[in-house]
Amino acid sequence: MAPRSRAEAFLPLTTPMLHTLVALADGDKHGYAILKEIARRTDGAVRLSAGTLYALIRRAEADGLIVETDERPDISLDDERRRYYRLTPLGRKVAAAEIERLEAIVEMARDKKLVPRPRSI
Amino acid sequence: MSPARRRSFVERIFRAVVRLFPFDFRADHGSDLEQTLREQHREARRVGSAASFGRLWLDVARDVFTTAPREHALILKQDVGYALRALRRAPVFATSAVLTLAIGMSAITGMAAVLNAVMFRPLPVDHPEQLISISNQDGMNAYVSYLDFVDYRAEGSVLSDAIGYVPRPASLNVDGSSERITLELVTDNYFSMLRVQPAAGRLIQPNEGRAPGEAPVLVLSYAYWQSRFRGDPSIVGKTVRLGSQPFTVIGVSSEAFRGTESLVRVSAYAPAWMIDAFMSWGSQAKTFEERSLRTFSMLGRLKPGVSLEQARAAINVRAAQLARDYPEVHKNISVRVIPETQARPNPGLGGFVRLAATAIAGLAALLVLITSANVANLLMARASSRSREVALRSALGARRGRLARQFLTESITLALLGAIVAIPVVMLATTALRRFVSNVTAAIAFDVDFGVDVRVLGTLIVVAIGAGVVAGLAPALAVCRSDLGSRLKSGARDIGDRSGGRIRSALVVAQVALSLTLLVSGGLFVRSLDRARHIDLGFEPEGIMLATTAPTLQGYDFQKRLTFYSAARDRIVAIPGVEQVAWIQFPPLGIIGEVAEVAPEPRPSDPDWRPPLAAEADISPEYFETAHVRFVDGRPFDQRDRAGSTQVVIINETLARQFWPGDSPLGRSLIADGDRVEVVGVVQDGKYQNVGEAPRGAIFRPLAQRSPVMATVAIRTSGSPIELARAVRQAIAYADPEVPVYDVRPMIEHLDNGNAFFPFRLAAFMTTLFGGMGVLLAAIGLYGMIAYHVGQRTQEIGVRMALGARAADIIRDVLTQGGRFAVIGIALGIVLAAGLAQMLKELLLGISPFDPITYAAVAGLLVAICLLASFVPARRATTVDPLIALRAE
Repeated sequence: MAPRSRAEAFLPLTTPMLHTLVALADGDKHGYAILKEIARRTDGAVRLSAGTLYALIRRAEADGLIVETDERPDISLDDERRRYYRLTPLGRKVAAAEIERLEAIVEMARDKKLVPRPRSI
Repeated sequence: MSPARRRSFVERIFRAVVRLFPFDFRADHGSDLEQTLREQHREARRVGSAASFGRLWLDVARDVFTTAPREHALILKQDVGYALRALRRAPVFATSAVLTLAIGMSAITGMAAVLNAVMFRPLPVDHPEQLISISNQDGMNAYVSYLDFVDYRAEGSVLSDAIGYVPRPASLNVDGSSERITLELVTDNYFSMLRVQPAAGRLIQPNEGRAPGEAPVLVLSYAYWQSRFRGDPSIVGKTVRLGSQPFTVIGVSSEAFRGTESLVRVSAYAPAWMIDAFMSWGSQAKTFEERSLRTFSMLGRLKPGVSLEQARAAINVRAAQLARDYPEVHKNISVRVIPETQARPNPGLGGFVRLAATAIAGLAALLVLITSANVANLLMARASSRSREVALRSALGARRGRLARQFLTESITLALLGAIVAIPVVMLATTALRRFVSNVTAAIAFDVDFGVDVRVLGTLIVVAIGAGVVAGLAPALAVCRSDLGSRLKSGARDIGDRSGGRIRSALVVAQVALSLTLLVSGGLFVRSLDRARHIDLGFEPEGIMLATTAPTLQGYDFQKRLTFYSAARDRIVAIPGVEQVAWIQFPPLGIIGEVAEVAPEPRPSDPDWRPPLAAEADISPEYFETAHVRFVDGRPFDQRDRAGSTQVVIINETLARQFWPGDSPLGRSLIADGDRVEVVGVVQDGKYQNVGEAPRGAIFRPLAQRSPVMATVAIRTSGSPIELARAVRQAIAYADPEVPVYDVRPMIEHLDNGNAFFPFRLAAFMTTLFGGMGVLLAAIGLYGMIAYHVGQRTQEIGVRMALGARAADIIRDVLTQGGRFAVIGIALGIVLAAGLAQMLKELLLGISPFDPITYAAVAGLLVAICLLASFVPARRATTVDPLIALRAE
């Protein structure tokens, strides 16, 4: 089976799951950092409880979308009780596939003039 | 609070939150989750705003109430799915386990339904928890007189109101067709206090009637309205006859309301003012004026906020006052105030019924334990055969806790499936039991609704989960203990060989012990029943046919009743095969009987002396000859003893000894229920109210001087009594076709279904049934165990056979193994049984709870069954072909 369709098997993602994967896209993070990142990027519109986050992480781990990593940042920034998570290549493809899926929907909506097109880039 | 302490408190909360998540979740991410919560808390404190703390605790609450339960549910769903798939792959195992569990579950749920009906289900009225029973206790008699009722009801500081009621048989005649019903005579506030609504017309209202005979109105029960009148609303306003008296139907009670009697099917309600038409003492009695006429059952409604204790205290004070004001009547009476649910079927019997019901429920619980042990054994055997699968899953990362949880889920799933099977069984059984109870013929129609309701289903589910846990615990523990890794490598077949084997042996021993306990109690009841049947009743029940008539239901007066009794007797005597015929007011040992206060004349001078209660019956002169009661002294009744002549009485030996020790009672006088009567004869003692009673006084008075409102004809025949049934009915109808005839049956059957043997029959039946099921299950368990061991030893046995061991040696070997379990189980069971029997002591008759014969017989039976259960696999062991066994090595 093609890798692309393997990623598509996970779609659609729930909003919290998508945000979690996106939060890990630019580097490994520990749980609390993921929560903070999501809250910051969405201006607090999406807020996960800690329990929900770890339930998501468990599922993402089981599905092979993220892994726990042993690499840790500079000791001065770290608390040794933290655990860090990293997006796997599959996780990256799944997140990308979900974004593409959403984009296709947005494009459709624009064709139908449900939302305006952005002026230009 | 210092910051350090607050932090540790918060940390404790976080730790507790983490603990709410499933085991696997915690193992993987518990510390991480706790760390994140700590960091969020630290951040909130840094920000310091109420909003940031609010958000944090809101999130924590969400985790507690949503996330953690959802995670559990997900695992449960996985496990149940896995369990169902696993069970589908092993249909024989699944079916036998489910059926086994269903047996125990049916037994306990059936008992739960009975207990629920008798003890727990509240009356379907407004605020049933406020209802209390108030009764004047004096031996078995627990009724209150009307005047006492009025006095207790006046206790307005604790009671908002109180009602009194009396069930009575009556003949309801509508448009010329009459039917025997049970009528509840109720105080005028009955429906208003219970807050019952009418389904049609109106109900009896407060102040309806102010004097005896003044309120001839009738309210039908909903069920009776439906069954006899098909719910026809035009019945309201119609005039019907109860006996000879016209009553106007004013309405129908609501569908939900089934009356205040827990065991009696009430068809209609009439005001208590009309009571004298239905009492055996007839209309000359003064129900509403005599404090000694204790007739009413009484229910009070507690004022809101008043506790049972407060009510008890207030009513005790009132009772003490009554005892001072009416020392004659109240001397030996103690007032009893208990919740309505504890006063069923009546306040005097409530305690006994509860004891008996609890004992039988306990036995059913034992049966559930046996079935659980049996299924535990099946699961252990299965766990053994699945050990490679378990080891494989363990190697793939499943934790032991997770596997144990899986095992428990599987056993609980089995138990819940067993519960589903049990529900229809219980419904059938309770319907049958209800029919059985309504067949217990008495003057009053019995009926108990054992319906399976939420409480019963709740019990079933709790018991099922409990049984599932008990059954799954052993295999789950074995999984936790065993060394799974090495198992995969060695390919060994058994989980936790040694500890698992021990658990399985213990389970078999427990089964043998528990079923012995059940069988011993069954044996004790069977022996009690046997004793009861051989107790000298003081008359000869064989060869007697009975038929009960109630001429008063037709409104016959004193003389007309006597004419009827005499005419009917003449007709019956003429039936071929009839040897002797007599009338008696109530046959002995029935559900109802009369008692009378008796005192010798002159009355003993001791001021503390109180007249005893003697059993009483009005009889025709031929009764003693008919029933084969031995005459000790004096003469039977005869033509001289008529209405208007000197009132006479025949007493039994006990009463003679009691009143005139060493002296002849003939020609002496005594006062019975206020009448002065002369003793003309003495007869042998007998049993009057129940077979277990101590010798007690009894008096017999002539039918001709009393003309009871209802009476039973006793017919002695040389042939089979039951063959007379038709002829007797015809003879009575010939004497007077209007008089209803019922309970036509042999005396033996009357004893079986009455106070004499019924309780023992029921107990013997239930306990032997449970015991039998228990033994069957234990035998299956033992068989499975021995068969398993023989299977494990196939190679060893094969080698021994090859080396020349004889079949007999092998069989003896295997039997010894089975016998060992049996002996340990039996020894343990005897100790258990002795403990249980000690508790059942009150229910046994004429037999020690440690009756050696019962114990020996049951132990012997169990040894035989255990040997038989071991013999089958033993025989199979000898058929092992040494060559095949060795090759398998």
